[in-house]
Amino acid sequence: MRTTYKFNSILMRVFVYIVLLILLVITIVPIWLLIVNATRSTVEIQQGLSLLPSTHLVENYRILVSKGISMAQGFSNSLFVAVASTVITVYFSMLTAYALVVYDFKGKELFSNFIIVLVMIPMQLSIIGFFHYMSRLGLTDNYASLILPLIANAGAVFFGKQYLESMVIHELIDAARIDGASELGIFHTVMMPLAIPGAATMGIFAFVASWNNFFNAFVLISSFDKYTLPMLVRTLRGDVYRTEYGAIYLGLAITIVPIIIIYAIFSRYIVSGIAMGAMKE
Amino acid sequence: MNRFGIRKDYHGYLFITPFILGFLVFGLYPVINTLTLSFTDTTLMSREASFIGLKNFQRLFADDFFMKAVRNTWVLWILNFIPQIGIAMLLSIWFTSARLRIRAVGIWRALFYLPNLLMPAAIARLFFSLFSFYGPVNQFMVQAGILGEAMHFLQDISVTRGIVVFIQWWMWFGQTVIILMAGMTAIPIHLYEAAMVDGASGFQMFRRITLPLLKPILIFIFVTSLVGGMQMFDIPYMLTDGRGSPVYSTMTNNILMYMKFSSSKGHIGAASSVGVLVFIMTSLCAMGIFYFLRERD
Repeated sequence: MRTTYKFNSILMRVFVYIVLLILLVITIVPIWLLIVNATRSTVEIQQGLSLLPSTHLVENYRILVSKGISMAQGFSNSLFVAVASTVITVYFSMLTAYALVVYDFKGKELFSNFIIVLVMIPMQLSIIGFFHYMSRLGLTDNYASLILPLIANAGAVFFGKQYLESMVIHELIDAARIDGASELGIFHTVMMPLAIPGAATMGIFAFVASWNNFFNAFVLISSFDKYTLPMLVRTLRGDVYRTEYGAIYLGLAITIVPIIIIYAIFSRYIVSGIAMGAMKE
Repeated sequence: MNRFGIRKDYHGYLFITPFILGFLVFGLYPVINTLTLSFTDTTLMSREASFIGLKNFQRLFADDFFMKAVRNTWVLWILNFIPQIGIAMLLSIWFTSARLRIRAVGIWRALFYLPNLLMPAAIARLFFSLFSFYGPVNQFMVQAGILGEAMHFLQDISVTRGIVVFIQWWMWFGQTVIILMAGMTAIPIHLYEAAMVDGASGFQMFRRITLPLLKPILIFIFVTSLVGGMQMFDIPYMLTDGRGSPVYSTMTNNILMYMKFSSSKGHIGAASSVGVLVFIMTSLCAMGIFYFLRERD
């Protein structure tokens, strides 16, 4: 009896590992093909499948540039928008979350519930009204229309509140008050340094969300020199019959590889951050 | 009053003021503006617009496009959500199982999560290239003898829908695993120990302990996935010609809204009415799920 139980257990483990391996292959192969094909010439890509990189990276980049698709410009545009979005999101969301964790005020409960409701509301569906309003203010085709709304980022506030609640900071705040620090000063000099891990996690998510954001940029930004990377990706589509495949794969790889590098460095923060963003109550 | 007798609580209002102002200006007002526009015939070209009552909404229901978009969006979301939650649940159970003792859970999980961070627009373009006529999938299938000759995958309704659903699943199952595991590891072990003493089977423990205690997490996954799914745009848009081809079979709510917005005249009144209806539908469903399934204690 004991041996069959053990045998079944081993069999089950083998089965589980096989399933995990299959899922891993499904997860990685598309990304791997993308990166490999970015280094292969169009002729090589048309000749057949390969999982090994080739030597045509620079050539592919020249083709992209010669087609008037400035990935470098798009890259720096995306970087600017993403960094500004990250700073705005982290500062204002932490400030709002701090207010909810540290102070007692009338309507606090209501405001907390309101944040949760906002997380669940499909705000993107008001993009047309948003566009119309921005065009009256003269802010269309302006990165401000992509960055400023993040002052009120409900998901980030929710995350910040969960994070700050898990830290015990009341004693430190009281001590700083005795030393005569102002309330905003305490937020800047006592809380922010302590909350760096949480702020970093929030920042990574804000950066990735902005970097990947296609829809809003697509509606709001119109001049070609202001295009962000996802908007340039849209133009990476030759006709089916004669296309520079290598260059197209390279263009896609340029948008994706930076995020993979960020993930390789910060994956632990990111994975623990996801769990914290989910509701616990 | 805090224990030093200095009242600081008005600072709470001060510190949430930027959020509230930001919400009023960039959140609430656009919603109201969208609603207002939906009752007008505003276009991008015209300076003037007039109030036309419910005409935009009547037109939406008069042609089949709107209902088609709503149906498509639901179909694409449901077909992705069921395998997403199913496989994620299975993996979470395996990863947390004391009997299986899977090695390097953190690494598996981190790898499965990776697609979620990648740009959906680029991923859809990638799959467009992979499944194109001269693309790697055709090459592989012809070489392996699965297909006699290369096929136009993206001209087939079921295949195109299948690819959209697959990409969504591929991008989200890893994230669902992480959230489910966070919920599972938060369940006190003594509950399982007590159940084991009473002779409960693995399945019984899952039904009676894991599932009920995971309910808040499941509701969270359900609601956020639904809200995201109803606004699906990047993947079907980039995978097709921007109109949800073939024959509008992957045209989602947001694609229809964008098509009205970007039409030659720029019917932003009509586009707003799509936004308003989908907004109401999604919010009602999300709130409904949240309040009816929530623990009432």
